[in-house]
Amino acid sequence: MDTPMTPEQSLRLIESMMSQAKRSFSRMSFYFLLWGGLLTLAMVATQVWTGVEPGTRYGAPWGVAGLVGGALSMWYGARQSRQEAVLNPMDRIINWLWASFVIALLLVLFTTLLEGDDPVIPITLMTGIPTFLTGQIMRFRPLVLGGVLFWAAGVVMQLVPDAGARTIVYCAAMVLGYIVPGILLMRKENGVRPA
Amino acid sequence: MAFAPLDPVLHNQLRLAIVSLLVSVEQADFNHLLERTGATRGNLSVQISKLKEAGYIQVTKGLRDNYPNTVCRLTPEGLHAFEGYVKAIKDYLHR
Repeated sequence: MDTPMTPEQSLRLIESMMSQAKRSFSRMSFYFLLWGGLLTLAMVATQVWTGVEPGTRYGAPWGVAGLVGGALSMWYGARQSRQEAVLNPMDRIINWLWASFVIALLLVLFTTLLEGDDPVIPITLMTGIPTFLTGQIMRFRPLVLGGVLFWAAGVVMQLVPDAGARTIVYCAAMVLGYIVPGILLMRKENGVRPA
Repeated sequence: MAFAPLDPVLHNQLRLAIVSLLVSVEQADFNHLLERTGATRGNLSVQISKLKEAGYIQVTKGLRDNYPNTVCRLTPEGLHAFEGYVKAIKDYLHR
């Protein structure tokens, strides 16, 4: 790489390297797959248990999902930070985006439960924000669409009075908004080109 | 019209590639730079040393999973030199 360069070649090299660097994001598919799976299971478990004893609200599946997901996310994040070959400022922005989402989520959870309301719909609507923005920052369309899907799902769940239908809408949003983009992202991270 | 002299430290394909990568990230390790530039280990090592000697990058040697790991980060001087280099190239191209 010691051949003389013209200014045009220099500029092309700079652009090429900078554009490569911008695509160097941390592996994030794990989080979408983990939380998509856990929250879908929590919703199904809640619905099943509510069916066994109608009129009773069960928060245990959500609590278990939150604890398991939180512990695994922290473990994976710590492991990733030790192995990361590159630290991109965009990764930091995405991390803070999700951290602020978790703080807002806990506050919404606390205030809605205090009022005796169901927090699932506001949380579903809120979930669209970090999902949509992560997709935009990474220029990864499945996550952008996933974010839009969460907003749509929140509105549909508000309009549908039946708990069973709400469960289906929520699970569909989780599968299409988190799990499917998570699988596609994992394929991208592993260097598999889309079919 | 005469072309303004370019920074000789940066006017080298591999050194310019390294600095261009480091401008966009906070830090990158040796293997990442190796993969992205397509250089040989020996050449990359030499050019990193030259950039370090010029004060353009900061090199931290440590261990990752019990293996030696070299992490590079652009210094404020390196960023300033890069900006000057880009400006000089653009001035030339726009003449």
